Amino acid sequence: MAELYVKPGNQERGWNDPPQFSYGLQTQSGAGKRTLLNKRVPAQLQGPVPAPVSQSLPSSTPPNMLPVCPPSTVGAPPLGIGVLPPRSDAIRKTCKETEPECDVCIKDVLSPLQQTLEICRDSVTKQVFNEISRRLTMLEDMWNSGKLSASVRKRMSVLARELQGQNWDSADEIHRSLMVDHVNEVSQWMVGVKRLIAEARNLPEAALLRTNQGSGDSTNSTLKHEN
Amino acid sequence: MATYLEFIQQNEERDGVRFSWNVWPSSRLEATRMVVPLGCLFTPLKERPDLPPVQYEPVLCTRPTCKAVLNPLCQVDYRAKLWACNFCFQRNQFPPTYAGISEVNQPAELMPQFSTIEYIVQRGPQTPLVFLYVVDTCLEEEDLQALKESLQMSLSLLPPDALVGLITFGRMVQVHELSCDGISKSYVFRGTKDLTAKQIQDMLGLSKAAAPAQQGRPLQPQEQPFLSSRFLQPVHKIDMNLTDLLGELQRDPWPVPQGKRPLRSTGVALSIAVGLLEGTLPNTGARIMLFTGGPPTQGPGMVVGDELKTPIRSWHDIEKDNARFMKKATKHYEALANRTAANGHCIDIYACALDQTGLLEMKCCSNLTGGEIVIGDSFNTSLFKQTFQRVFTKDPNGSFKMAFGANLDVKTSRELKVSGTIGPCVSLNVNGPCVSENELGVGGTSQWKICALDPTTTLGIYFEVVNQHNAPIPQGGRGAVQFVTQYQHSTTQKRIRVTTVARNWADAQSQIQHIEAAFDQEAAAVLMARLGVYRAETEEGPDVLRWLDRQLIRLCQKFGQYNKDDPSSFRLSDSFSLYPQFMFHLRRSPFLQVFNNSPDESSYYRHHFARQDLTQSLIMIQPILYSYSFYGPPEPVLLDSSSILADRILLMDTFFQIVIYLGETIAQWRNAGYHDMPEYENFKQLLQAPLDDAQEILQSRFPMPRYINTEHGGSQARFLLSKVNPSQTHNNLYNWGQESGAPILTDDVSLQVFMDHLKKLAVSTAS
Repeated sequence: MAELYVKPGNQERGWNDPPQFSYGLQTQSGAGKRTLLNKRVPAQLQGPVPAPVSQSLPSSTPPNMLPVCPPSTVGAPPLGIGVLPPRSDAIRKTCKETEPECDVCIKDVLSPLQQTLEICRDSVTKQVFNEISRRLTMLEDMWNSGKLSASVRKRMSVLARELQGQNWDSADEIHRSLMVDHVNEVSQWMVGVKRLIAEARNLPEAALLRTNQGSGDSTNSTLKHEN
Repeated sequence: MATYLEFIQQNEERDGVRFSWNVWPSSRLEATRMVVPLGCLFTPLKERPDLPPVQYEPVLCTRPTCKAVLNPLCQVDYRAKLWACNFCFQRNQFPPTYAGISEVNQPAELMPQFSTIEYIVQRGPQTPLVFLYVVDTCLEEEDLQALKESLQMSLSLLPPDALVGLITFGRMVQVHELSCDGISKSYVFRGTKDLTAKQIQDMLGLSKAAAPAQQGRPLQPQEQPFLSSRFLQPVHKIDMNLTDLLGELQRDPWPVPQGKRPLRSTGVALSIAVGLLEGTLPNTGARIMLFTGGPPTQGPGMVVGDELKTPIRSWHDIEKDNARFMKKATKHYEALANRTAANGHCIDIYACALDQTGLLEMKCCSNLTGGEIVIGDSFNTSLFKQTFQRVFTKDPNGSFKMAFGANLDVKTSRELKVSGTIGPCVSLNVNGPCVSENELGVGGTSQWKICALDPTTTLGIYFEVVNQHNAPIPQGGRGAVQFVTQYQHSTTQKRIRVTTVARNWADAQSQIQHIEAAFDQEAAAVLMARLGVYRAETEEGPDVLRWLDRQLIRLCQKFGQYNKDDPSSFRLSDSFSLYPQFMFHLRRSPFLQVFNNSPDESSYYRHHFARQDLTQSLIMIQPILYSYSFYGPPEPVLLDSSSILADRILLMDTFFQIVIYLGETIAQWRNAGYHDMPEYENFKQLLQAPLDDAQEILQSRFPMPRYINTEHGGSQARFLLSKVNPSQTHNNLYNWGQESGAPILTDDVSLQVFMDHLKKLAVSTAS
């Protein structure tokens, strides 16, 4: 559901700025623990520090000679399959922020949100109702003017479906991942969606049941599709 | 029997405790001869996912001066339903609810595996967590935009019922009223005049609401948040308005003439924040989060004037007693820090700017309250954004990894007293039978307050053996320490964590080898380093180094094996083998050396050193260096210039920086594109391996470290070269064969020279 990727830090504003991890990666950390790099070697008390034996590799360039035509001056690295154990490929594969193929229609996103808002109409104050709908309009405008990235559009469509399926926790989690990963795109209107999720969650079940018959809940297929 | 290494590790995992000595010398005299004091690193809220809290109150010893908690070390008479306190030997009756206990039906707190146990107790009303943002608006447009977005984002990460408030400042200080009706209103204060808490509360109109409490009417739980409702509102109520309010924040409108700094009223802004919470929500978990992009330039707490031509104080100015504003500003922030600590709140400082921001003066605000300090170059960096996100990290149970208002009570056996602690805490000035007259760190008390802490927050706690020489080994052969930590969990529950540990006493004359074998050199190095860094805050740098050197020499004299006056005969046993090099690297570390660091940077490094757990502290003392090669899996190598080899990749972790360094040949191969050729798949893997390992460190470290990718000859290789032991320098280069490392251009003393001197001094009959 949440995307796993790492993007480079902002080198222009911060020297040696570390890479930025997506919300998905941040929250999953702690799961597969790496081999801890926390060992030290004691220095010898006696005699000079023995230099590690350099095994004979065809690296014969003297330090101050410039490597002009690379592969010929320096020997090639040893051939073969690595001795290093293969690492967790999960992260590497996702190192690039993949722009998912996306042809989500704004209506598919907006109408479940608006439906939910309609259901909440009686339980929220008029002002809150207006505030939320103002933000949904903002979402619509940005979407239509092409200001939202494919990733945001795709995740919003999933969020809308989760909302329709009354999977509040899941919808809330997607909202959070969008706030963390794409705050500059979504910050102004996402808070309306957030409030909508919270208000819908607090509704008595009866109110929701009424509408569910119509919308033909498709949660299961949604999840399958996502996996 | 398990080895001591395993014993030490098990104890750390179970109880969050690492002692410098795991077998204790049985007399005061012998203990002082051990050189390294008896002490421990204690992580009060060490993460224990396997430890479900129990839902009842702890049973206390009835002796009023003791009040130790019933624990597995207590002797129990199941038939008479009595238990004997293992600290004061008082015999206590079990409470009526324990009537059913027997040898086969024990409560958890008597079982040996529950040397650490956590109780959930409910006392008094529950109040939600409070987050008060104090935001500098004298920022560049790009920075302000990034900061606004981070703050908006944080509203999604906060618990919905948390109270949140907003103060902004530049030349003026604005306290924003948060209401749901979409009309923004704020109270404006001048940034040049300090106000008392009373004045602040009067001006904000909070005094009236506080009045009923003074008349003695007990507060209803739901009433408390109401008091400050205009300025602190639950996130779920005002998230939409606050998002708009943040979105509309503008840079400070006052013009900044050429050659001037913006007028920034940090001192007054913090004072108002402290006063606001002091009057309305004392003794509940609250974070004042300061976001600032430059030094305070006016009013109380100003650190530098607004003339750009006068630079902010440097170490040089401080040494020459030429830092005009330092003392006064420090006094202002210390007063605020002490008030905040008394209120049980904490202050976090996020300072993002290229120049200094006055951390040296402000550091006490976080150091005394358990708050965080993070410095970065800009708010628009991944370093700031992700560090800030990680403040709201959750544990597997979905609760925030933050706790508040902790009160740590240390109880000891009679032969032991507590000398003090070093960590993000303040004294509660509770004198009692456990308190030593000799202070180490913050002493003279057996209780400390830690206003904010997380599962890694670690205190150094120092003890004194008070048993007289030639007195018999104390009863039972073991000494015990109990740590009782009362705190507010992030779910706002009140909890009590109790850890009770014991270690054997040994007669240092006949059983020195037991004491020696049970030495924990890692814990000892960190405990000594904390003492050194603590001293460095008030003493001259060279004095601290001399003190550390003397201690090291004495330790080597005591525990080395050697023939008098024969340095070449000097040997240290395994349990001491790393200790001298820890001290060598500590001497060179930014915690004791201020050269090449600004006063702000030194304050920042020391702040983190005084709170991290043992593993992280040790990384700060002696960075970790791993070598990646074709010859096998990554291996740890000496932090030494001889480890810099052409056909290796190095990964160095200094806690604040992660450095990847490609050796000369590796870099040439990479530049030649070998990793793109299918037949050199192994080379590609080799290049990738340290990146993956670095990524895993970056993913979990708090605060986010800087990340440096460099290679042989690269300008950034300096980060590696300045940390390794300069075993090869331009002075002795020709003593070395080619290809055996990289010479460092430095006049610094190498570990070899340091060790030679150490051996000479240790074996000398003259000293």
